[in-house]
Amino acid sequence: MNGTLFKKEMKSNVKIFLIFAAIVTLYGSVIVAMYDPKLGESLNMMATAMPELFAAFGMVDPGLTLLDFILNYLYGFLLIVIPFVFSVILCHRLMARYIDQGSMAYLLAVPYNRNVLLRTQLFVLLVWNFLLIAYVSVLILGVSSLMFKEGIEVLSFLWVNLALFFLHAFLSSMCFLFACSFNETKFSIGLGAGLGGCFVLIQMLSKVSDTVDFLKYFTPLTLFDPKKLAAFDSNALCWAISLLLGSIVWMILASVIFKKRDLPL
Amino acid sequence: MSVIEIQNITKDYGGHKGVFDVSFDVQKGEVVGFLGPNGSGKTTTIRQLMGFIKPDKGKVTIFEKDCFEKASEVQGSIGYLPGEIAFMNDMNGLEFIEFMAKMKKIKNKEKMQELIRFLELDPKGKIKRMSKGMKQKIGIVIAFMGDADILILDEPTSGLDPLMQNKFVELIQKEKERGKTILMSSHIFEEVEHTCDRVVMIKDGQIIAVEKMDNIRKNRQKYYEIEFENEHEARKFADYYQNVKVDHHRVSFFLKGEVNELLHRLSQVQIVEINARSQSLEELFLHYYGGDNHEWNAF
Repeated sequence: MNGTLFKKEMKSNVKIFLIFAAIVTLYGSVIVAMYDPKLGESLNMMATAMPELFAAFGMVDPGLTLLDFILNYLYGFLLIVIPFVFSVILCHRLMARYIDQGSMAYLLAVPYNRNVLLRTQLFVLLVWNFLLIAYVSVLILGVSSLMFKEGIEVLSFLWVNLALFFLHAFLSSMCFLFACSFNETKFSIGLGAGLGGCFVLIQMLSKVSDTVDFLKYFTPLTLFDPKKLAAFDSNALCWAISLLLGSIVWMILASVIFKKRDLPL
Repeated sequence: MSVIEIQNITKDYGGHKGVFDVSFDVQKGEVVGFLGPNGSGKTTTIRQLMGFIKPDKGKVTIFEKDCFEKASEVQGSIGYLPGEIAFMNDMNGLEFIEFMAKMKKIKNKEKMQELIRFLELDPKGKIKRMSKGMKQKIGIVIAFMGDADILILDEPTSGLDPLMQNKFVELIQKEKERGKTILMSSHIFEEVEHTCDRVVMIKDGQIIAVEKMDNIRKNRQKYYEIEFENEHEARKFADYYQNVKVDHHRVSFFLKGEVNELLHRLSQVQIVEINARSQSLEELFLHYYGGDNHEWNAF
């Protein structure tokens, strides 16, 4: 870790963070505000009428409690895709563009080795991811307790968010691995973003009907199951931890590749 | 003692791009010019010195440490100016210089200030809006501000106006007096001519000559251009020398020494005008580069 670089990268990515914080604020608060204990039933009816459409966006059984509602509408799609896009942009800003534009020549012409650089950038990436998820958790908790007397089950909710962070650690370190491994942006960013996009699409497809249910085994997003996590299901916890372990594997791979590779600087 | 040592390195990018079996060294306190046309392998060699790429074959060391494996140890004693300008665009010039100073653990900022003054740089503007010359100056400040023992400069004067190029030559001369070891690539011959102790010439990824600057100066030819009264005289005169170009009344040729003899001959005919100048390093290089061997046996 290098403190100077860390500070620089935190400072220069504040704007991007604020944009994404604004986006999740918008979706988060609107969706929480949409909750109506009575509406739950009519939504359930709609969901039975158009099961495929609802299912594709992860909204199976919208449920009746506020937590069920939030998990359905935010944690099935929006809070997977939005922070993922944030990660992709960060991977570009923290690694891919430095390699592509050649400014990494400066970052390497210093008495630190490549791994210090890599670890710092990776840490910045994870910190920003963590901050975005922490922010959205606090936001949802705040809006829910302001608008609804009963609020939501805090512990279950935080548990889900911790797992969400593991999922994003997994996805962003995967993107970061590609960003470290290729020279041109179309590969270094395209591969990570494309693969992540595929995961989301596969998950959407797998939920549409039982005949393609097997598709869920082809996307790591299946390992994040907000409803089971909220119920403190131990399997769901193991899956979430496997995401964290997976992210460590990506990081080690990134470090091994980056240390050995030729850089076009 | 050789500080920088390049031993038989090959880095093959395919299609005859890269460097092939390149070897040379830079002694302590020596200034070496690394000359070659665009795409000849200068930057590829320097990238290996900086530990950005690993040679396929051969060894690159600085202070006897492998430039790739021990890059971070080696970097502490290098001031580096990249050939391509690519900064962090989200900072202004001064912020970037200060950032690099911190990254390089440079505590004493006197040298930085001194360089900014010397190069007449106003570093406060947005880097994005800066001209190429301004950016180059920032790169130079960063390379020199750490007072590193070794300077590796890739095309240091590109983008600078002639006045600044002269200032840069001054800067190199000062650093040389202070005992710095310098390797600079260039295709501008004047700066190399005025700064370097030795010249390494590279073409198509292969070293074609390594020569001391003193030798080059000593063996350098003069270029003469003489205008005669008539073409007959011109042709007659041209027969005395080899590789002479005759254009009507005008005769031009290279000649090393033999000045008295030349003057004697010229005194016997009517001449209108005579011009003489030293052969430029560029012309000298062209002899190697073009494989144009006519009477070039000076070495």
